[in-house]
Amino acid sequence: MREVSAGIVSQEHEAVAEAPKPAFKMAVLRRWLREPLLHFLVLGALLFAVYSYINRGRVGVESSKQIVVSLDELRQMEIYFESQWHRPPTPQEFQAMVEDKIREDVLYREALAMGLDKDDTIVKRRMAQKMQFLAEDVAAAHEPSSAELKAWFDKNKDKFALPSRISFRHIYFSPDKRGKNAQEDAARALTRLAGQPVDSKAAESMGDRFMFQDYYGDRAPDAIAKEFGPPFAVAVEKLKPGSWQGPVESGYGWHLVFVTTVIPGRIPAFEEIEPDVKTAWLAEQKRRAWEKAYAEMRGKYLVLLPAPPAKDTAQSPTPVPKKEVPSASGEGPL
Amino acid sequence: MKQVWCAFGAILLGLLLDTGCTKSQAVGSASGASGATAPQSSEAATPRNPLRNAYFGDLHLHTSYSMDAFAFGTRTTPEDSFRFAMGEPVEYFGKTWKRIAPLDFLAVTDHAEYLGVVRETINPDGPFASSEWYTMMTSKDPKVSAEAFKKLLGSTYMNKPLPEFNDGKLTGPAWERYAAVPDKYNQPGKFTSFVGFEWTSAPKAQNLHRCVIFAEKGPAVPYTAFESVDPEDLWRYLEGQRKLGLDVIAVPHNGNISNGLMFDTRDMSGKPLTREYAERRMANEPLAEIMQAKGQSDTDPQLSPNDEFADFEIWKYLLDGSGIAKSATGSYLRQAYGVGQELQAKIGANPFKYGIEGGTDFHSGIDTTEPNNYAGSHGNQDSDPRKVVTATKSVAGEPPTALSSGGLTGVWAEENTRQSIFAAFKRKETFGTSGVRIKVRMFGSWNYAPEMTKNPDWVKAAYDGGVPMGGDLPVRAGSGGPKFVVYAVKDPNSGNLDRIQVIKVETKNGKSQEKIFDVAWSGDRKPDAKTGKVPAVGNTVDVKTATYSNSIGAVELLGEWTDPSFDPKAYATYYARVLEIPTPRWSTYWAAKLNLPPNPTVPATVQQRAWTSPIWYIPAGN
Repeated sequence: MREVSAGIVSQEHEAVAEAPKPAFKMAVLRRWLREPLLHFLVLGALLFAVYSYINRGRVGVESSKQIVVSLDELRQMEIYFESQWHRPPTPQEFQAMVEDKIREDVLYREALAMGLDKDDTIVKRRMAQKMQFLAEDVAAAHEPSSAELKAWFDKNKDKFALPSRISFRHIYFSPDKRGKNAQEDAARALTRLAGQPVDSKAAESMGDRFMFQDYYGDRAPDAIAKEFGPPFAVAVEKLKPGSWQGPVESGYGWHLVFVTTVIPGRIPAFEEIEPDVKTAWLAEQKRRAWEKAYAEMRGKYLVLLPAPPAKDTAQSPTPVPKKEVPSASGEGPL
Repeated sequence: MKQVWCAFGAILLGLLLDTGCTKSQAVGSASGASGATAPQSSEAATPRNPLRNAYFGDLHLHTSYSMDAFAFGTRTTPEDSFRFAMGEPVEYFGKTWKRIAPLDFLAVTDHAEYLGVVRETINPDGPFASSEWYTMMTSKDPKVSAEAFKKLLGSTYMNKPLPEFNDGKLTGPAWERYAAVPDKYNQPGKFTSFVGFEWTSAPKAQNLHRCVIFAEKGPAVPYTAFESVDPEDLWRYLEGQRKLGLDVIAVPHNGNISNGLMFDTRDMSGKPLTREYAERRMANEPLAEIMQAKGQSDTDPQLSPNDEFADFEIWKYLLDGSGIAKSATGSYLRQAYGVGQELQAKIGANPFKYGIEGGTDFHSGIDTTEPNNYAGSHGNQDSDPRKVVTATKSVAGEPPTALSSGGLTGVWAEENTRQSIFAAFKRKETFGTSGVRIKVRMFGSWNYAPEMTKNPDWVKAAYDGGVPMGGDLPVRAGSGGPKFVVYAVKDPNSGNLDRIQVIKVETKNGKSQEKIFDVAWSGDRKPDAKTGKVPAVGNTVDVKTATYSNSIGAVELLGEWTDPSFDPKAYATYYARVLEIPTPRWSTYWAAKLNLPPNPTVPATVQQRAWTSPIWYIPAGN
């Protein structure tokens, strides 16, 4: 079995395992089990020996029939095993893993030789995917300069727009304390606040203690909506800055609101967001590289599609629209 | 010659395979970053709040990566889930949904078994394209596809994995793709994402499920119930992950359908629980999910006959639809708090010292927990409003209306970051809600000053002089009972608050009893002279139009409470429950929209609620 499979690694394993005397053999095995590093070193040395031996020229094995397992791959196998089982593999388990890998390689090569990769949808899809990765890889290999990014940013500013931000102070009129009068109390308080500044002493004595903050600085409408409920955010967004206004209702009751500043939605300066620009730039480079690469490849082909039965019989070069993914049953089993 | 070419091809392919794999990851993260996240640099950073803010999220959500969700026709992806939680619109069963209030954090927890693989069955170019699975799953005959799903689901209930689905070559890449998603959406200070999965153990369809939540990076592979259905084996996996540097917790859920298994006093092999077991359990799972789509696991009316609010979102159907969970004992948290204390007296550690959180367990990929904005939660089982409103039988033998509009987890954390929120999970400064965003916190101490909450800085004083929920009372000082402060603020998009109660579970001489105290309530209601209970708040709901008015109830409730019947020799678990005023149940909103009467199998109105993690008292000398 071993002869036939040309399991280079396993042959050498046996050479090690058989040489020592039984008692010593146990000790080696135990040590082998405990010392992954030693394990690798020994294996590495073996592989090196095997490699040199092959290079010296081995009768009957042409290079296309060589299966080379690298030390890195062996280490990967061990790491993977440990991540699943939380211990290093025993020599038997390790041997089995190596055999598995060799079996996969052998079968893979035999299958290729038999042409089993042809017309296999999974192979097709995987290879097509790799073509895309390759094309994108080319794009990703280029490190953009700041100037290059800036130029691109200038053309694509809209993608980086920031929402408006509002700063406001408010006075809370609690329905818990005032019942149905909360709104009216707020309206009455407003008349006394007419023309008063945001830090008016009069304002301080009005209203009730609010459970969160009295002042909110630089909040996007979303953030205001999350804290007070959406209608309040909509109402506050419409207030003109610079005076006490209201009453505005929130999910907690009534408020008089003084908007101090509104920073309109804006596009940030390039310097503020260069890392974000780079990420977006890279994504676009990849997309473009792929589109271009594909267009070139596509251009080499003439596609013949059957004409739709009752309609125009001209050959259409446009691809068939992607098939809808069929949905699962309308009625589940449970 | 041909052989030479093959070898060359193999080497070339090998190289390509390598580049292919690394590139695919790079592509994923790059496009995600540009597509999903707006630049943050110029937003005003929210400063860390040492007194902690409340953040809301879900640690239990399924997408089409879960085989059952996929079986129900759900097609949303984990990406959709994160986008939806952040407030973006997502399409689900032909309609576009958007949360009224976005969430602050999320873990997607698809079933680990066959994770991401079953959705491949309908892919005409996928690995199942030439198998009978493709034919069955895409069959136009619902009976054929239903059979296929039954076979799949059955294999997980029976714990007999189908090798073609439980194949590392399929599950490996699917997991890698899935575990890479959360990082794309994590925005420290604004939105927190966690890597998670659900370990789906259900011996004889009795639910022992746990959601597994990672602090930062996800693991190389998830742990499935195929490997073991014994929670102790799951803990071994978690302990192994921690050794690899990945902090992680598990969160058990649905004790209500465990048939007494969840809080059993014996382990899976039938041996009585030991101290080591108890300590391991608490080290691995600090929190339990008290509420979700398939009902609440706080208590059963049968176990708490004196709790007039216990009859809330009850669900008893076992997972495979084979029948009703027979045993309430061992199935609910409140009772487990008592049993845990009984065990602690005996073995020296409490195996059920759980903090509380809530989740959805929705199989829709989207956390529509707002009752007036509920999308249905189990794919084609409850996606058709007319059918759902009129149905009397479906999911697991229950009408789909019996599913609740879910739960949410609340945490008190300094800031919205992975580190800060995960730390809150571990110290149990958490609460669970029935899907609304009630904020509630509780503190306990021996020596809080009377009327301490009159001081606007009372939260600081409460931290300085006591413990927040999730903690143990320190060694007793003075002669009185423990003092508690409880505070709740309503969800700005939901009903006002009715009351805050403290639920006390006391254990002495191996016997436990529960007692419920009204601590703060709205309006000028007076407790009944005989029972001590505050009368019902009233009900403003107009069922026909599914509307209510916040003319009753309170915006915020704040209570200081000293245990009047404290026994220093008895163990005690104290946790708070906040009730909203009655509002329309989600099913009533659906009925009103269709101009139909609400489904008769469920109440038309409910009192949404929140539960805090407990504060524990351990008698001196224990």
